[in-house]
Amino acid sequence: MDRKEENPEPVEQAAAPGRLARIGAWFDLRLRISDQIWPELAHHVPRSSASFWYVFGSATLLCFMVQLVTGMCLGLVYSPSAAESWASLEYLNYQQPLGWFMRSLHYWGSNFMVALMTIHVVQVFLFGAYKYPRELTWVVGCFLFLLTLAMAFTGQVMRFDQDAYWGLGIGASIAGRFPFVGGIVVDLMLGGPIIGAPTLSRFFTLHVFLVPALLLLLIAVHLWLVLKVGINEWPMPGRLVTRERYLEEYHQLVAEDGEPFVPNGVQKDLVFSGLVMVALVSCAAVLGPAGPNGPPDPTLIDTVPRPDFWFLSLFAVFALLPAYLETPLILIAPPILFLLAALLPFYSGTGEKSWKVRPGAWILVVTVFVCLGTLTWLGIRSPWSPDMAAWSGTPTPVAMVRGRTPLELQGALIVQSKQCRTCHSLGGEGGERGPALDDVATRLTQDQLIHQVLQGGGNMPAYGKNLSPAQVKALVAFLGTMHPPGQLPARDASRVASSAAPVAGVSGGR
Amino acid sequence: MMRRNWRGAGRSVVCLALLWLGACADLPGRPDEADRPIRPNDVKSVDVLYGQNCAGCHGAEGRLGAARPLADPLYWAIVNDAEVQGVVARGVAGTAMPAFALSEGGTLSDAQIAILSDGLRTRWSGPDSAAPGLPTWAIQPGQNGKRGRVDQGAQVFASRCAVCHGGKGEGGIAPGSLVDASYLSLVSDQALRSAVLFGRTDLGMPDFRGGSGEKPLSPDEIADLVAWMASHRVAYPGRPYNESDAAGVGEDGP
Ligand code: HEC
Ligand code: HEC
Ligand code: HEC
Repeated sequence: MDRKEENPEPVEQAAAPGRLARIGAWFDLRLRISDQIWPELAHHVPRSSASFWYVFGSATLLCFMVQLVTGMCLGLVYSPSAAESWASLEYLNYQQPLGWFMRSLHYWGSNFMVALMTIHVVQVFLFGAYKYPRELTWVVGCFLFLLTLAMAFTGQVMRFDQDAYWGLGIGASIAGRFPFVGGIVVDLMLGGPIIGAPTLSRFFTLHVFLVPALLLLLIAVHLWLVLKVGINEWPMPGRLVTRERYLEEYHQLVAEDGEPFVPNGVQKDLVFSGLVMVALVSCAAVLGPAGPNGPPDPTLIDTVPRPDFWFLSLFAVFALLPAYLETPLILIAPPILFLLAALLPFYSGTGEKSWKVRPGAWILVVTVFVCLGTLTWLGIRSPWSPDMAAWSGTPTPVAMVRGRTPLELQGALIVQSKQCRTCHSLGGEGGERGPALDDVATRLTQDQLIHQVLQGGGNMPAYGKNLSPAQVKALVAFLGTMHPPGQLPARDASRVASSAAPVAGVSGGR
Repeated sequence: MMRRNWRGAGRSVVCLALLWLGACADLPGRPDEADRPIRPNDVKSVDVLYGQNCAGCHGAEGRLGAARPLADPLYWAIVNDAEVQGVVARGVAGTAMPAFALSEGGTLSDAQIAILSDGLRTRWSGPDSAAPGLPTWAIQPGQNGKRGRVDQGAQVFASRCAVCHGGKGEGGIAPGSLVDASYLSLVSDQALRSAVLFGRTDLGMPDFRGGSGEKPLSPDEIADLVAWMASHRVAYPGRPYNESDAAGVGEDGP
């Protein structure tokens, strides 16, 4: 920057900058960079756009740089083969000095990049910055968004642990849905019909060559457009964008109230980038890298693979969609949504920019985030995931053991051994696919309990063939005790009326 | 002047950063080798093995589970390793106790089963282990070469067990029937014997040595009690009430 004018003591430093400057000048004379680039960088931008609202794009770019550098470092050690990748990550984590830190930086860099990019998009959208004449910047940005997500997605596959299986499985099941060509696409993606050794090489190539190359290219275009078209001015309600007059107005604004992009315009970007860097390094140092968790072994069925944070919403969608909706929603909806987003400036390219007078924009942003947030929250809790370990690892609550008859205790054992707790919780522990059974006796009579267990229904398997009559009796006796102390269990009115003998299996005493 | 100070500050920041990176060994984010994921069959910790495989039925601390408590010094004084490992490896057919050995379709290696039985013994043994003259765990033919005698068993039951379980085992202070055909069909004779031998001390039932002032049950009496209880087994348990239901079910699966 304007160091030369300010520097009050040239005595000590004179030699060094002088020599450096001379070398610089030597190159510049031949390369002619300064008279090409400098005017570019020093071009004037509206003073109002030097705001902390405008810093997220450059912060995203910074994260991308971090990803490039850390990614290259990791590439020195990482071995993209199914047999060795896991071991090479373990090596990075435990042996290679600071290897874990590189992994951590790369992981958090990716999280930061997606997060900052998302904020950037929202800001651009709310500030109407995509409108005339910045349509192309927006379209390119949309593709950058996609590519960045593609990096996050293929990156999680690089861990090639159990969670990576989720990514691969989902990817394959999306690809497999394409009509006619589905099989071929899956083959191309996985290197065969199933996840295997060639799969990782394919994703490695995507992650380190193809997608980054496209990203670099589009980033260059994006930045070029930002420089050439000029940074969006702070939107003012009532200042409408029209194709006829906007450029003129913008130039006037810049001429009247502008400042050079470098150094003035970028000051806040630099400050914010510094802060982001500190936050990133702290996260990496304190929270550490992700995984690799268990080795990817299809025989380890007990684990529920989960995607990284950004794909939890997708995870939830896949888990919750009824089968008949999957193909339309997964194949057709995303491209349409993407087109709608990318083509936004072509159907809303003029008019008001300010978010203050565009309630529709607000509503849209809030709706999208509420939906994504809810889905992500569901993805984190994933109540549809069976609790595969509960049957042998989660004790029957002590309160349901005390005071039970021997037969009822056998019923409790059947709830454990027949793995009912994979889907049903007792005392808050166990799966959540079915309702908690803690007070099931207040809802269902003995007959209804027997019916539900034998016939299943509503997503519950039928146990009729898997339970002996004695087991059913024990089970129903136990479930019949599942009501709060003061509250009576549900009774079959006809049975009470006919005052038949006490229902079999429910012994007195309570 | 100002500038020099700034430069000094810059240098110290860089130095600090380097120092900090150098001290990375202690950063909280550094992965701990102890947390490294291991294959299920490489797990060697007794706590983990018990917690993941047994706590569900035998209770979090080895007591107050739906199945027999294992946190019982008397239990480990009487049972030997082969017996425990046999049960864990092969399970108990017809009961809720599953087979855990890989060879039986379970999930634990033989080494892990041995680690478990050793570890649980160490954890739950007590002073009782030294006491001589304890009955055996396994069901053995009575002294005259016969198993237990049913009518003798009924007498012993009336004198020693009826206080809590009612004269005919129908239930009393201790809730529920011991001679319910469905219950009996779901437990092994060994489980009945274990109930008499070790009681359910976690639920208030004494072991074979009885309450205060009682003399311990003799091996014959133990065998007789088991025989009496087992004599209530029937051919088709659990039928009477839900015959109609049990008939046509299971056709419309999920
Ligand atoms: C695959 C998951 C799954 C398993 C395993 C499972 N259930 Fe269910 N169960 C469900 C679902 C889902 C429902 C809710 C059915 C409905 O909405 O109609 C349910 C409902 C029930 C109900 C009725 C609850 C109520 O409040 O209406 C009972 C009782 C029940 N299950 C008992 C059992 C028992 C006993 C077992 C083990 C033998 C078992 N379930 C195993 C999924 C499961
Ligand atoms: C699904 C429930 C269940 C699980 C899980 C389970 N058990 Fe059991 N276990 C039982 C039942 C029920 C019995 C009694 C079987 C019978 O009737 O003899 C039993 C019996 C035993 C016995 C013999 C008790 C006796 O009578 O002397 C031992 C020892 C034992 N289990 C150890 C284990 C160990 C160790 C594990 C974990 C690896 C385990 N169990 C897991 C249900 C279970
Ligand atoms: C001090 C009272 C008491 C006495 C005496 C007693 N029991 Fe028990 N018994 C209990 C209790 C309490 C339980 C646990 C009941 C339950 O919750 O299932 C029990 C449970 C049992 C069980 C079932 C264990 C299971 O869950 O599978 C058997 C079998 C049994 N007793 C047999 C006997 C026999 C045989 C005797 C006589 C030697 C006897 N009991 C004496 C209190 C007693």
